[in-house]
Amino acid sequence: MRQAGAGPALSAAVWVLLAASPLVVDEWRLSQMAQVISYGILAMSLSFLWGQTGLLCFGQAIFFGVGAYAMAVTTTGLVPVAGGGAAIGLAAAVLLPALSALIGGSLMFRGRGLSGAYFAIVTLAAAVIAERVASHWDVLGGFNGLRNVPPLRYRWGGRPVDVVEAVPVYYVMLAVAVIVYLLLLALERSPVGTALRAVRDNEQRTMYFGFDIPVYKTFSFVVSAAVAGLAGALFATQFGFVSPALIGVPLSTEVLIWTALGGRDVLLAAFLGALVVRSVESALSEALAYYWLLALGALFVTSVVVFPRGLLGGPLSLPLPRRMRVPRDGEL
Amino acid sequence: MAQTFVILLDAANFTLALLLVTLGLLIIFGLMNVINMAHGELFLLGAYSVVVVEQRGGSFWLALVLAPLALALIGVLIEEVVIRHVYRRFIDTILATWGLSIGLKQAVIVGFGATAQQVPNPLPQAVRVVGTLYPLYRLFVMAVAVLAAAATFLLFYRTSLGLAARAVIANRSMASSLGLNTRRMDRMTFAFGAALAGLAGAVMAPLMSVDPQMGVGFLIPAFLSILVGGAGSLLGALLGTTLIAAASTLVSSVWTQIVAEITVFGLAIVVIRLFPRGLTGGRR
Repeated sequence: MRQAGAGPALSAAVWVLLAASPLVVDEWRLSQMAQVISYGILAMSLSFLWGQTGLLCFGQAIFFGVGAYAMAVTTTGLVPVAGGGAAIGLAAAVLLPALSALIGGSLMFRGRGLSGAYFAIVTLAAAVIAERVASHWDVLGGFNGLRNVPPLRYRWGGRPVDVVEAVPVYYVMLAVAVIVYLLLLALERSPVGTALRAVRDNEQRTMYFGFDIPVYKTFSFVVSAAVAGLAGALFATQFGFVSPALIGVPLSTEVLIWTALGGRDVLLAAFLGALVVRSVESALSEALAYYWLLALGALFVTSVVVFPRGLLGGPLSLPLPRRMRVPRDGEL
Repeated sequence: MAQTFVILLDAANFTLALLLVTLGLLIIFGLMNVINMAHGELFLLGAYSVVVVEQRGGSFWLALVLAPLALALIGVLIEEVVIRHVYRRFIDTILATWGLSIGLKQAVIVGFGATAQQVPNPLPQAVRVVGTLYPLYRLFVMAVAVLAAAATFLLFYRTSLGLAARAVIANRSMASSLGLNTRRMDRMTFAFGAALAGLAGAVMAPLMSVDPQMGVGFLIPAFLSILVGGAGSLLGALLGTTLIAAASTLVSSVWTQIVAEITVFGLAIVVIRLFPRGLTGGRR
């Protein structure tokens, strides 16, 4: 990682700009941006798993989709749990993906576990399975998905209040994004985060130092899945509709592109990658969209070959935590 | 009885078609240590080259010859422009070829539209095989696949070129210090793998709906076959494809295609987890 540059100032500026955008952006665009922020949170979850721990996951949308479906199923009353409020839905949307990651992760990583390309291909196959299950399981609405997912709702003076206006929705999303960002960042910069990066950089050597590799990998997988599930649930409340498109290979691929283009090992770069790519995409007309995907593929290949750290990873990277800085000459 | 026999023939048919794709993928992986996520799209391009040749008034048989050649050329081009720059970055080869696959698929959509193309069956007759009627063209596909697979095996195990290739697979730096030009070998390998995928795409085109999504449908089973059989072994690939394809055909004949996909992929993941070096245990 580079030594301190403009990274911290630029990162803060990005959040300030995002917080100030309701002043200049009209309501329709604002609600679009709020949706895109949930994709940004998804990109951060992948950045944590892939950029920090080195686990290239081709099925990150599985957790996003599970979160979205969990939210939809609880809040539309398909499964009557404790009134089916938004809080229950959110809890389910975080816990269910985390639990599946815990089970899947401990099965995959324990002992001489799967790593590298094997993990990538297995998660790709898992994404296909998830998509097939979602689109052929009648309880989940099959191909048509589930409609009428209610917006976020809270109680104020004993009455339920829906969060539907563009500005409140936007700020709720932004607040969640900031909280997720800060939590993941704190984790990254803690000693645990250092161990995760050690696993990424040299698994064998880290093992010789006495670190339990499967535990660290599973932990990272669970955290990432929980964040992705939360992102999915928030997306569902805004979009009002969940479908198999949220769980399969295409979205998994997209989130991979956003994260790689932005910068896999810098959370904010991955987040912005999602925001920028999705915004450009929605600004283009239907006819141009075909060429856009072609250009995106080419851009993706170029960035992998020429800029492996992504386009925004360099400028937005933060200085190392204080405890890890190498003292300059004359210090000590 | 007759029905069982037809299912067996179908299974053999799918196995052999999948084997063509898997062999190319395996050779590229074994020799170059490149996971080629764009292999499904090379298959796709093989099928679309049949569409192009037939639109220009050429016959199917001409297309069947031209498709592997065209794909070999495209393979050389891809190797030169993209793959060669990411050789030593293993995970990046996955990403770069994944990006390529997105680009190639989208190029096909831009050029031909997202809808399915029809390739007429060049051999519409059915022949009597052990008391049941079976489409002649499917038998032809099996013959082509057997020939191509046998040629690949002969090339690798009975020629000096194959010996050199296996030397590179076994120990790249040693082979290169013994004077083998690994750089040229890589280019030829990629071209050869692409040509096999192109041949598979062309020969399968009349049996499938030729649409931009057909590549992924072969890519994942091909990868799972390699991992189930054991990466780096041609015999493992044979075993893996047989298991995957036979299981898919059998399950889909009893239930549906979707159930087949879900169970076979799920079982494959379990096998890969239990035998990380494949069922052949990495023996070559």
